[in-house]
Amino acid sequence: MLRQRPFVVEVLTAAGLIAVPFVLPYLGFSPTTINRILVWGVFGIGFDILFGFTGLLSFGQSAFFGTGGMVAAYLLTIVNFPYVMAALVIGMIAAGIVGWLVGLIALRRTGIYFAMITVAIAEVFFFVEFNPLSAYTGGENGLPGVPPPALYLGVTTIHFDSDTLLYAFLAFWYFVGMMVALRIVRSPIGAVLRAIRDNPIRAAAVGHNIHGYKLTAFVIAAAYAGFAGGLLGVMQGFMPPDAFMFDTSGQLVMQTAIGGAGTLFGPLVGATVWLYLSDFLQTTLHLGAAWKLVLGLVFVLLVCFLRRGLIGGMEDLYALLTGSRKKAGPVDDAPMAGATAEDEQRAATVDVARRPAIADMPARHRKADREIGPILQAKGLTKHYGGLAANSDIDFAVNHGELRGIIGPNGAGKTTFFKMLTCEVPPTSGQILFEGRNITGMTVTDVCQLGLTKSYQINQLFNRLTVRENLTIAALAELRGKFKLDLFKSLRGIADLDERVAHALELVNLVERADTSVSDLAYGEKRRLEVGLALATSPSLLLLDEPLAGMSPRERIETVQLLKSIARGRTMIIIDHDMDSLFELVEHVTVLQEGRVLAEGTPDQIKGNSKVHEAYLGGVHGVLAAE
Amino acid sequence: MSRKEQKLGSVSRRTLLWAGAGLAGGAVLPSALTMPTFAVGISDKPQIGTWPAGSEGDTVSVGAAVPRTGTYAVQGEDELKGWQLAVEHINNGDPLLKKIAPKVSKGLLGKKINLLAADSAAKPNQAVQDIQTFINQNKIVLMTGSTSSAVAVALNKFAQREKILYVTGISGSNDTTGKDCVRYGFRQNFYGETAANAIGPVLVKQFGKNRKAAFMTPDYTYGHTVTKSMNDYLTKNAGWTMVTNQISPLGTQDFSQYLTNIANSGAEFLVNVNWGRDAVLSIQQAKQFGILPKMTLVVPYQIPFLAKETGPELTAGVYAATDFWWTLEDKYPLAKMFVEAFDKKYGYKPEWGANNAYMSFAIWARMVSEAGSFYPPDVIKQYEKGENFDSTVGEVYFRKEDHQLVRPVILVKGKAPKDMKNKEDYWEILEVVPGAPLMQKPDAFGCNLGDYT
Amino acid sequence: MINWANFISQCFNGLVLGALLALVSSGLTIIYGTLGVLNLAHGAMFMLGGYAGWLTYSYTESFIAAVIAGAIFVMIVGVLVERVIIRHFYHRPHEDQLLVTFGLGIVFVETVRFFFGSLSKTVPPPSSLVGITPLGFMFYPTYRLALLGIVSVALLVLYVVLYRTRIGMIVRAGIEDAVMVDSLGIDVYKVFMLVFGIGAMAAGFAGIVNAPVVSIAPDVGEAILVQTFVVVVIGGVGSFPGAILGGLIAGEIISITSMFNPGYSYVMLFVAMTLVLVLRPYGLLGTAGRE
Repeated sequence: MLRQRPFVVEVLTAAGLIAVPFVLPYLGFSPTTINRILVWGVFGIGFDILFGFTGLLSFGQSAFFGTGGMVAAYLLTIVNFPYVMAALVIGMIAAGIVGWLVGLIALRRTGIYFAMITVAIAEVFFFVEFNPLSAYTGGENGLPGVPPPALYLGVTTIHFDSDTLLYAFLAFWYFVGMMVALRIVRSPIGAVLRAIRDNPIRAAAVGHNIHGYKLTAFVIAAAYAGFAGGLLGVMQGFMPPDAFMFDTSGQLVMQTAIGGAGTLFGPLVGATVWLYLSDFLQTTLHLGAAWKLVLGLVFVLLVCFLRRGLIGGMEDLYALLTGSRKKAGPVDDAPMAGATAEDEQRAATVDVARRPAIADMPARHRKADREIGPILQAKGLTKHYGGLAANSDIDFAVNHGELRGIIGPNGAGKTTFFKMLTCEVPPTSGQILFEGRNITGMTVTDVCQLGLTKSYQINQLFNRLTVRENLTIAALAELRGKFKLDLFKSLRGIADLDERVAHALELVNLVERADTSVSDLAYGEKRRLEVGLALATSPSLLLLDEPLAGMSPRERIETVQLLKSIARGRTMIIIDHDMDSLFELVEHVTVLQEGRVLAEGTPDQIKGNSKVHEAYLGGVHGVLAAE
Repeated sequence: MSRKEQKLGSVSRRTLLWAGAGLAGGAVLPSALTMPTFAVGISDKPQIGTWPAGSEGDTVSVGAAVPRTGTYAVQGEDELKGWQLAVEHINNGDPLLKKIAPKVSKGLLGKKINLLAADSAAKPNQAVQDIQTFINQNKIVLMTGSTSSAVAVALNKFAQREKILYVTGISGSNDTTGKDCVRYGFRQNFYGETAANAIGPVLVKQFGKNRKAAFMTPDYTYGHTVTKSMNDYLTKNAGWTMVTNQISPLGTQDFSQYLTNIANSGAEFLVNVNWGRDAVLSIQQAKQFGILPKMTLVVPYQIPFLAKETGPELTAGVYAATDFWWTLEDKYPLAKMFVEAFDKKYGYKPEWGANNAYMSFAIWARMVSEAGSFYPPDVIKQYEKGENFDSTVGEVYFRKEDHQLVRPVILVKGKAPKDMKNKEDYWEILEVVPGAPLMQKPDAFGCNLGDYT
Repeated sequence: MINWANFISQCFNGLVLGALLALVSSGLTIIYGTLGVLNLAHGAMFMLGGYAGWLTYSYTESFIAAVIAGAIFVMIVGVLVERVIIRHFYHRPHEDQLLVTFGLGIVFVETVRFFFGSLSKTVPPPSSLVGITPLGFMFYPTYRLALLGIVSVALLVLYVVLYRTRIGMIVRAGIEDAVMVDSLGIDVYKVFMLVFGIGAMAAGFAGIVNAPVVSIAPDVGEAILVQTFVVVVIGGVGSFPGAILGGLIAGEIISITSMFNPGYSYVMLFVAMTLVLVLRPYGLLGTAGRE
């Protein structure tokens, strides 16, 4: 996904664009229809980056389409600005700026609230354009008289005013737009956007500033929309007000869905189908007003049966025909027939011992690191949920290089404690010091960048990506910091990335499964990847929330070995219920009960501690003693 | 490199190929680039617009962008029927047509007319898109369509750019032959200024001076210009006051907030400039609020099918200005022929949209046949000669300064249900007001016709 | 200088507008809250209720029959839509659900246009409710007053069903946590079907009772759809009381803004919604986690 043979897509696009004017007219496409398709295509590239790649469904793209188009048209008609190309670029920049401002508001929310804000934006923009600003935008008449673009070549000037020349102009800009988009999606930012689409929580937790990236995607989409709006105006010599209508946004969404989201070419294919069918149904089949009904039915059928749009459908068809899709199923983790748990564990131990030693993956040394004093300190940490005290007044300290375990009966508040340590959840009161620095109230992203991260009790993976891609996302955060605007950099250009990912793969023993999609992994493999994700951010303090949960005896042995090997060079705190494995692993144990620290000590001390017994078994010790 | 690694999300080389396959057909040798060619015709005039290519065969095409869905769908369908009837008459050399365009006989200059129609949903961009397709695919020699003046203005400009004649459909805004006029555009119907100047005197005569009127205006050019024209006439000539102007967005469903304001305004007259479904709803709801019949309703720019949709109880006693009403058949022989032909073909009496559509095509046929050619500047000059000719509303002629047809405005008053002689007898014709005195001076609205070529 | 008579009139008017919006929105919000599906065909269902009612009226001349027919017909449509289409979309991404309901909305509208044309159809109010009632500060259409009453009763019935019956409890539990309800052994799919049916019925009922006020046409659902979403977002997704509060607020915003500048009244609604979202992330009465 993230890398591929260079230039293949680019060359094919160019070839396709050159071939189109020779082929499409024979299929009943008029030149202006083809030109319109290209404009929708450009509009859609940006939208696909926002929706298909980042997962943000916005119904407000018409606002930027109209803004860019109106600014360009206004400059070219009312102000009589002489340079068409410059006007288009200015329109695009204006749309981008507006997109940035709108994004600041809209992106504060997610899901349906985000969608609704974008609808509101679209409607408000339409109203403003229609009414108060009608002197600039021509109100419901739009701005007529937009001149066609011209290219000054010194000796002569090419006026792009015939259909063919306009096609060449539009095709050129579509090509440029596509090239830029391809670079963006292949860049580290593209990878992060996909991570955000799959699992925004985890993307933030591995150290990416997801708000910044979402805003970037939003602005990109707005810029493409604005440029496309300008293109529409010069193409038909008229900038219409319906560019601002909610309908336009809706049509864009439908076309992208028809073509296939997340493919960059989807909007183009969708526009082709849509515009062709509108023409065909009305003009050839003389359906009159019923054309919209037929189109609606076609759309519903497409959405129902082609889950990834036409492009996805064609890919599936091709795979079906060539029988080339071999689904790599989950690796068989079933236990050997007739073996007991002890047998399994013995077998696992043997296996593990046989494996060659893997080099350590130490924590990256960060500027804030000190070597003396506790690496983590919590003072009086408390969390109330309404009337329930999940954690009360916890004092807790871990030294550098220590392996600490945390145990406690269910409901003790262990996971809440971890959530506060990683700043996922703000404490009601209390303080957290990491490397002597007060991190209370910071974000989970910043804390991860400082070197503190967690692996989750319930897998938080990027499900649509492969194992390698998952680890790449985590490593990217570590290597690039929480936000970097390297839109045009290739992933290959990131120093150490491959090495980091390969190392992580080795450590969690997923080298053979590196290119498998997460959805095809077995449970144990997913757990290992879960740990690997946290590891790939090179934390100096790694928290593990029940890493052994749900594992078979065999897997447990392997995981404990894994944990031992990654413990070298960093501090770790592990929550788990499997006390045998945990006590084997850690040097020091803290016991929580009902939100408070019950006891602390070495594993042996804890095993003998009567209060701990009572907490788990509920007073049996006392009963036994009494008898 | 594994297949997965070649993927770009879901985009791989295969994807691209299939995308291309979806767009392309078989491989054909290139030939159909639409480069403009220089045709050497009978005359040595250079090619312009779709001339001579569009009229070289034995059929010429005309394109109509008409709303078939959306707010004006009802009026759009009616217009379309008018065009269809006109095309049929031209192709058959119908006697009615010949009265308007004597030189037409079984086709125009020996060619059959082919009418193409597409749904504009009253959106300017959609209309432009539809017409553009017709230009490219069919080389239309005439374009038409508008029910919203926004579409008319957009098509005006488009016509001038493409150098193809444009006759408006329904367009009530002053701007269409005012500041947005073009050399290539022509308007047949009446508009805000003439409506106001026609209906104003009748209202003043009937109701006297210094009255209070509440206005309801749809929020776009047509609405604002008609309201302005009406208000100007009434305030300047009879001391009326506009006590409130309720501006509503196009497509409003529930007018209660506007009607509440009006109910509290102390007005005696309700001047409703809303159009299409907006008019129907606002009038129905005004009745619900008791505003009608307490206030007298004035509809300065009548809407086709208004009476049918609201029901005659609501239009009884309403004063309106319109372009055509079928009972004109008693006054004008051509109107009688038209109403009969339309009723026979479609089963109902035509509304003014249909009449406007028919007339605009009939007039065009006349101009082309008189000029003897499809060459646009020749046809335009024929229009601009300003000759009198007969129409469904008597003798009319075009004003060359702004391409507006000088024609009467029909003043009507709604009939009470008990006075209706048949189920379509909604309106009583009060007066046929001659057009010329109603119109503004040619340059008053900033009309600046463009070039011929 | 505010005209107080007008102000009070507008406030009252806003109440009526708001009540209708509240009814339609409560249907939408329980569908979204329970199924997680944003029903973009909700406006079309409003329209279908109107047409079913009108058709019944033209054969029976009975307003009550029309109302019942309208509500039941749309409920059946809702149940069918859930069973045949929506059910297959629960495991698909949210966007797909949005798209399919959006497409269905178009199909419903255009089908109606195909069979009945674009000309609007009137359903007269029952003869006992025709005319105007003097209210002191203004004269108000009697039927609209009755509408306020009818809608309030409908909301009350919906409240009783949701909060005082066993099935309502299950529905509310489903809004909180559908997975849990499933784990408890309750057939969650039956619940979903029922919820979709009830939600659709609310819209259809609103459509037919509103027909005497705004005569019906195929496009009648479009405007109300967008307003409904705004109301749901203001009130908080999945919250029935939120829909009512949001509806009333929306109605008042529309009416009172029109006192000052009629053109801006719908835009103010959007501005208000954005403000609410910026200040209270989950709407006025909504809870976190339901997006």
